[in-house]
Amino acid sequence: MAPLEPWEKVLVDAEAFLATDHGELTCIECHNGTNVSNKDEAHAGMIASPSEQPDVYCAECHEEESAAYPAALHATQAGYWTTINARNGNIPEDHPALEEMFGNHCASCHTSCGECHVSQPKNVGGGLFTGHVFEKTPPMTRSCTACHGSRVGNEFLGKNEGIPGDVHFREARMSCVKCHEGAELHGMTETAAGADHRYSGAEDPQCIDCHQYVADGSDGVEMHAQHGDGTELSCQVCHSVTYTSCDGCHVAVSETSGNPYFETEATYHTFFIGLNPIRSEDRPAKYVPVRHVPVAPTSYEFYGENLLRNFDALPTWVYTTPHNIQRNTPQNASCEACHTNPEIFLTADKVQAVEQNANASVIVKTVPPAVELFLAAMPQPAAHAELVSDSCVACHETGIRNSPMYPEDHIGFSNESCSGCHKLP
Amino acid sequence: MDKRFIAGILLAVGVLLSACAASVEETPSVVETPVETEAVVESAPDASECLACHTDKQKLIDTAKPEEADHEAESKGVG
Repeated sequence: MAPLEPWEKVLVDAEAFLATDHGELTCIECHNGTNVSNKDEAHAGMIASPSEQPDVYCAECHEEESAAYPAALHATQAGYWTTINARNGNIPEDHPALEEMFGNHCASCHTSCGECHVSQPKNVGGGLFTGHVFEKTPPMTRSCTACHGSRVGNEFLGKNEGIPGDVHFREARMSCVKCHEGAELHGMTETAAGADHRYSGAEDPQCIDCHQYVADGSDGVEMHAQHGDGTELSCQVCHSVTYTSCDGCHVAVSETSGNPYFETEATYHTFFIGLNPIRSEDRPAKYVPVRHVPVAPTSYEFYGENLLRNFDALPTWVYTTPHNIQRNTPQNASCEACHTNPEIFLTADKVQAVEQNANASVIVKTVPPAVELFLAAMPQPAAHAELVSDSCVACHETGIRNSPMYPEDHIGFSNESCSGCHKLP
Repeated sequence: MDKRFIAGILLAVGVLLSACAASVEETPSVVETPVETEAVVESAPDASECLACHTDKQKLIDTAKPEEADHEAESKGVG
């Protein structure tokens, strides 16, 4: 997005603005300063972003939003600290350095009410959208994807060469807020209130909010009947396409200008299915697409030694929900596109040696077998539902308790894959 | 009926009604005397200065401070 000229950022469209509810307020009521013609005098004591204090400047009319928003992720940036603390090991003596790093490189992503509703985010240079007219629905490309651009924005809008944009945009011209509604963004939903990460809690929004007939396969799609219940595959496993990953981001402060900067080593497009590292009742899918985030063990070394000393605590190939949904994709063209196809899975050979441990929870060790084998597999005895152990090989490798030993062609399989074929009745 | 009789009744009713009317006290007429007040600060319409400048493109161009270089201009790669 091209930056605005300095004058453009503060040019007010009086006719349009004064006709709005906010135009009934005087400038000084929100911005302070003095009503005189001398610029310096007028701007003395001015508050450029009143909505940084929503309780003072917004709550009188927008009470619920103002009360909830300070705990929303766009305000707290809690997601950053959740991952920073985990990879650091939450070592108190490291916090001053980490906080300095955060202040220089991450804090500018904090978003006030005004940065969605009246101006572009400061992170991209700021500047009024439409002559100071407040927009109930933020303009997508000047607000949402101005920040969420290099991955989500480019994928959704189809800006990655050769990769189509998301069908919801391409065909239906849906904007971000069509799914990510105000209540979620303002932190007013149960999941969003006080969230510590973008993927914490239940999935919200969910694809099935609109596509209700997918989950049980009642839409007549055989693959939905097999996989649509969400316990095996997230929707994106079948319906997203190649997306952006990055490697090796390092942050520092310039010796020449004193400004903070970052450098990423590589950016590339992949599509890999991994094991779900945050599998839970809320997000039950066993397989999800995984995206490489550019963190490296030395990402913050400018600020201190070994600040990511607990690097292996989180995977670098992370749970992701690529925003480039397609009805037809290479992987949903046939069963064999996934079954018996190691190319599409995040297997160990695709993970850097230094990141093997960090990604142990997402690396797929056994590619799902041929569908014929899957269909022929005998179901588990019903009594297995009561087993405490989930280690199939503990019995079936040795034949203990008269359990049938698995055949030779199963030697490459592991516990994680048994129940994929041998279902409980 | 005798017209004089009817006129008499009407007169009597009139007298009775006037007796029921609230008495009106005579009040001295209000004499307006000038009261000394503080000079009222006439609040100039806020639009006069802030908007005068912020709606004038040329004025904004002329008075804009040069912007600092992009905070992360030295960054390399995708952020």
